Amino acid sequence: MGAMKEFLNSLLLKELFQGLVVTGRYMFARKITIQYPEEKTPQSNRFRGLHALRRYPNGEERCIACKLCEAVCPALAITIESGERDDGSRRTTRYDIDLTKCIFCGYCEEACPVDAIVLTREFEYHGEVRGDLYYTKQMLLAVGERNEAQIAKDREQDAPYR
Amino acid sequence: MSTQQILLAGLDPNTGDQTWHLADYVKRGGYAALKKILSENIPPENVINEVKKSALRGRGGAGFPAGLKWGFIPKAYQGPRYICCNTDEGEPGTFKDRDLMRFNPHQVIEGMIIAGYAVGSERGYNYIHGEVWSLYKRFEEALDEARAAGLLGQKILGSNFNFELFAHHGYGAYVCGEETGLLESIEGKKGQPRYKPPFPANYGLYGRPTVINNTETFAAVPWIIINGGEKYLELGKPNNGGTKLFSVSGHVVKPGVYEVPMGTPFPVLLEMCGGMRNGKLKAVIPGGSSAPVLPADIMMDCTLDYDSIAKAGSMLGSGAVIVMDESVCMVKALERLSYFYFEESCGQCTPCREGTGWLYRVVHRIEHGLGKPEDLDLLNSVTDNIMGRTICALGDAAALPVRSFTKHFKSEFEYHIENKKCLVPPEVQREGSRIYVTPNRVPSC
Amino acid sequence: MLDIEIDGKTLQVPEGSTVMDAAHQAGTYIPHFCYHKKLSIAANCRMCLVQVEKAPKPMPACATPVTNGMKVFTHSELAINAQKGVMEFLLINHPLDCPICDQGGECQLQDLSAGYGGGASRYQEEKRVVVNKNLGPLVSTDMTRCIHCTRCVRFTQEIAGLMELGQAYRGEHAEIMPFVEQTVASELSGNIIDLCPVGALTSKPFRFSARSWEMARRKSVSPHDGLGSNLIVQTKHDRVLRVLPLENEAVNECWLSDKDRFSYEALNSAERLTQPMLKQDGKWINASWQQALDYVAHAFKDIAKDHGAAALGALTAPQATLEELFLTQKLLRGLGSGNVDSRLRQSDFALDGKLGGAPWLGMKIAEINALDRALVVGSFLRKDQPLLAQRLRQAAKRGCQVSLIHSADDDTLVKIFAKSIVAPSQLPGLLAQVVKSAAEQKGATVDAELAKVSVTPEAQKIAASLVSGTNAAILLGNFAQQHAQAATLHALAQQLAKITGAKFGYLGEAANSVGAYVAKAVPQAGGLNAAQILASPLKGYLLLQAEPELDCANPQQTLAALQKAATVVVMSPFKLASTLEYADVLLPVAPFTETSGTFINTEGRVQSFNAVVKPLGDTRPGWKVLRVLGNLLGLPGFEQNSSEEVRAEALAGQPEFVADRLNNQANGVVLNLSLSAAGLERVSDVPIYFADALVRRAPSLQKSLDAKQPRARMNAATLAKLGVAAGKQVKVKQGSGVAQMTAELDAGLPDNCVRVAAGHVLTAGLGAMQGTLTVEPM
Repeated sequence: MGAMKEFLNSLLLKELFQGLVVTGRYMFARKITIQYPEEKTPQSNRFRGLHALRRYPNGEERCIACKLCEAVCPALAITIESGERDDGSRRTTRYDIDLTKCIFCGYCEEACPVDAIVLTREFEYHGEVRGDLYYTKQMLLAVGERNEAQIAKDREQDAPYR
Repeated sequence: MSTQQILLAGLDPNTGDQTWHLADYVKRGGYAALKKILSENIPPENVINEVKKSALRGRGGAGFPAGLKWGFIPKAYQGPRYICCNTDEGEPGTFKDRDLMRFNPHQVIEGMIIAGYAVGSERGYNYIHGEVWSLYKRFEEALDEARAAGLLGQKILGSNFNFELFAHHGYGAYVCGEETGLLESIEGKKGQPRYKPPFPANYGLYGRPTVINNTETFAAVPWIIINGGEKYLELGKPNNGGTKLFSVSGHVVKPGVYEVPMGTPFPVLLEMCGGMRNGKLKAVIPGGSSAPVLPADIMMDCTLDYDSIAKAGSMLGSGAVIVMDESVCMVKALERLSYFYFEESCGQCTPCREGTGWLYRVVHRIEHGLGKPEDLDLLNSVTDNIMGRTICALGDAAALPVRSFTKHFKSEFEYHIENKKCLVPPEVQREGSRIYVTPNRVPSC
Repeated sequence: MLDIEIDGKTLQVPEGSTVMDAAHQAGTYIPHFCYHKKLSIAANCRMCLVQVEKAPKPMPACATPVTNGMKVFTHSELAINAQKGVMEFLLINHPLDCPICDQGGECQLQDLSAGYGGGASRYQEEKRVVVNKNLGPLVSTDMTRCIHCTRCVRFTQEIAGLMELGQAYRGEHAEIMPFVEQTVASELSGNIIDLCPVGALTSKPFRFSARSWEMARRKSVSPHDGLGSNLIVQTKHDRVLRVLPLENEAVNECWLSDKDRFSYEALNSAERLTQPMLKQDGKWINASWQQALDYVAHAFKDIAKDHGAAALGALTAPQATLEELFLTQKLLRGLGSGNVDSRLRQSDFALDGKLGGAPWLGMKIAEINALDRALVVGSFLRKDQPLLAQRLRQAAKRGCQVSLIHSADDDTLVKIFAKSIVAPSQLPGLLAQVVKSAAEQKGATVDAELAKVSVTPEAQKIAASLVSGTNAAILLGNFAQQHAQAATLHALAQQLAKITGAKFGYLGEAANSVGAYVAKAVPQAGGLNAAQILASPLKGYLLLQAEPELDCANPQQTLAALQKAATVVVMSPFKLASTLEYADVLLPVAPFTETSGTFINTEGRVQSFNAVVKPLGDTRPGWKVLRVLGNLLGLPGFEQNSSEEVRAEALAGQPEFVADRLNNQANGVVLNLSLSAAGLERVSDVPIYFADALVRRAPSLQKSLDAKQPRARMNAATLAKLGVAAGKQVKVKQGSGVAQMTAELDAGLPDNCVRVAAGHVLTAGLGAMQGTLTVEPM
């Protein structure tokens, strides 16, 4: 009896039609794939992408070289050297992040008392050699400058939950 | 009830300012006690015993028995020991020592010489509040008179007893009225209280045993020597011997210094001052600004002695009775008191240095309509953290007024916080604080 | 002994202990800020409030004496509430600037606020702001952070000896400040940085450079004065960033002098020599170690062959390690020359061959505190041995009568019982008076020469003081050791010690002054001493860690000798401009942080240390260089593989103290009291921040008041006699040298004396440290 049923099923291509039903259903359903890079998925305002160092609106860099991010970083990706600037304030003389080490956990942003180091929504970057992914202070500041409007908006949105 | 006067006896309020000289004092029976001791060779222990019997309690505020204090001076100590008189009268509301020094400086000098005799000291200092320069000058003149008459210096009155006395004037810091702060100041250091123990009786001026008493305490000693300790005790109540000067200020008809026996009911004193000016009695601070305030009904049942006032929840302190009528806004009154302690904290220990400023700022905020409902709890919590945790009593002195004002007049504070204005209308306050001319005024005495 | 119960733990404590002492003994921690074991008790922070049974109020543990049967609760509700209350008060006016504060991570307030502080502040009013104070080039201030514990005030008053800080104003307006228009000039000022429990006082040279958690902590030993302070050297990325004291009660207690603390800056100086260099045709070229050492070996061999080994000499700095000193002398003696010396500033070597051993302190350092009488002969006490002076200061406070015989009246900040200030040439005569007077008082006899002197009242007073003591000491300072009649001073002091039953010792000049004797880096029979090595110009010189033009007693003679020499080999971490002129080979050897080694301090304590960082560039540890040089020269006994092996060879084992090598007793010294100087006498001090190669290159120390340019200092009578006005430029001439400097009034100097500092470039052209000179107005 069983062998008979199996024979009929394969003769009438039942499994094939069952499969085609699924195909047919998705053919007319709403599409979920996007055409990257022309199209992009929406991002959370807490998206953890490329790092940036921020400045205050008056142009003064925020970072005060407290080294808390360096201390908290689980991957030891941050290297800071500090010193006294001519005006007597405490500033970094070196602020490097090795992106090949970074695990994008966001602890550095959590630890920062002045919201200087942040993770931006920027994720489309690459390096052709390893050294390209070693970001220095100037590079991080540049990331901050080009994303400042977005960064500020995201922090403002997230402020009530901090 | 006795109306005996000891400190101001024989002084006429009108001519008192001229009759302070040595000759006048001797005419009033002055220096008889010193002569008695030196001529009869009374042993120092007997002098101390007599003072112990009198139950003379320190008049500076703490009310510690003077005889007991003198007895603490180690007898076997080799080397100098000192007598210090605390005339650094800085407590707001207190002005009794001022009048005593003005009208009767020789009585203080005699008392100090006797104290020197009793504890075997040859050197005394009188630390005089720096803001009343004339007192310092008068005391120096009185000292010159006494020296010229052989009452100070080597071999006093032909005996083998030597005693030299010096006046030292401060510069008006309240904290220098604290006994160890005063000692530091005499030594030429910054007036900051020392941690006790050791007490001055063991480690005082320049590290030597030192007796330090209030002006009024010393001034009472000659009478005790002449008339005996028991007699002095009889003047007042048990454990509260003798008479006391009260500096009455505020909304009374005749503010001034009054000498009444210990244990006199408060209404009697109020009567002597001519009663209230216009308004009804609202509150009284019975012992100077550091004493907790008492509302009218409690105060009217009190007698003026250390134990009765303490039972009512305040302190007799230096006997500065500040009388307030219904025109007083208690929040404003507390703001002023808190400011005083904020300014006068010496800055040595943490709770007082930081706490007094905090208290003042919160009270200031309430007074200016920026108070919050939780501020009263905050004030209580801050006073809790100050009280009993400071080196000297200034911390407690700053906290107690805040405590008592917010306890007895809580509704006024709440009204302030809720309505952002005084419970007492401004025009009433203005009326109450107008300059008041006492009818038929006689000079204070 | 008293019984006390702390948190249920019963123990016995000595009479007079405080609750804090008892808690410490019981191993219970009571939070505190103002309390410090070495300072007086202030009881002003109130953080240590604890509950005492039967006391109505919480009591401060630091100031409450233990009574028998006392019960203390340090963690009861009452105690914790009190501590939390105080913490809240401390925090209301303390700025929340931990992220930019150098104390962050090692801050007592930060640590304790984690345990006792609230999560949020109830204080909403404005916080106090305090203007920063200028405390000089070493201490940086952020006074807003101050919590008024007054540790710094008490330190300057009690330990440093001069109240340079105070608390002005009252209440909330109270501020810690120096006196108007003054800074802190104490040579111990760096300690207030350690004492400050918050970030109000921090290190200026270290400012903002690193966090405490990033740095490695390594032990080391200070290479400066004879004390041998124990150090914690903090490093990051192979760079020394900071130096802190390592507590050692027997040596430096918990203190450091500023030179110990801040000289590390020189380690990163631009003057560091990082590669071997050779002079070819008058030009300096970089060389490899192989080339340089071959060159040296050949040069030394040639000199030994052509002129005899005695034409070679070595001068070693007394700050070099024991291993370096040992290998240097072994090298020279292996070549056949006994000409090696490390007593560069000494000028009288009459004691050589007569001393029983290495001159030392004559007692343990800690015993200084227990002295009841002390006589210091010829010492700029505070500047020469800051921490030994501190010990004497504490002794004087406890009642020790300290007397001083010297040629300059600098304020020692030690309570001096009696002093006598005379010209250098009169110093032996003065000491002879004290000896005679002491002998008279003790009924002892003295030689005919001493019997001749007439005793002045001051000398008699000093002698009487020594005679009356039960635990006295006579200490010879640097000035006495460098004196032209040092042997006479030594013999007199020895005699005085014998008469009075006092201890007799040297205040060690340098970190390894004793070590140099132990390593035999001093001439033995037949060898030339430092003065002779320079007086009879030799053909080849080996200079180890020394900068002879600044470190030698007579820089004029030194330079002349070195310039005439055929080969001068310099082994140094630094290159000095003037060295480049006379040297032929520069070998970069490691300073104390980059090599392992040993210093033997003035009490004979052997203190070894390891390198804390890698040698800079091509620098190599000195002992390795000498060992390889020995091999190249084909000498036997240069097979050591570690500095420990060298040490074991030098000390014959691994002793903690070299007690058997120490002996101050000298026999057969001929007294020479009759010397008198005609004309102006030079009084030379070696200013504290010019004393060795490291401090000379520490920029922050060079900015301090002690590092100002040398001046020609005279008393008013001498100024008037010479017709010179104070503040005017003068020409000081000594021998063939001339130096131009400012004349200054120094009322503490004897007549006909001019005080001109040694060890400075400005005075390096002058002659011997002691001698006559002339001063002319410009």
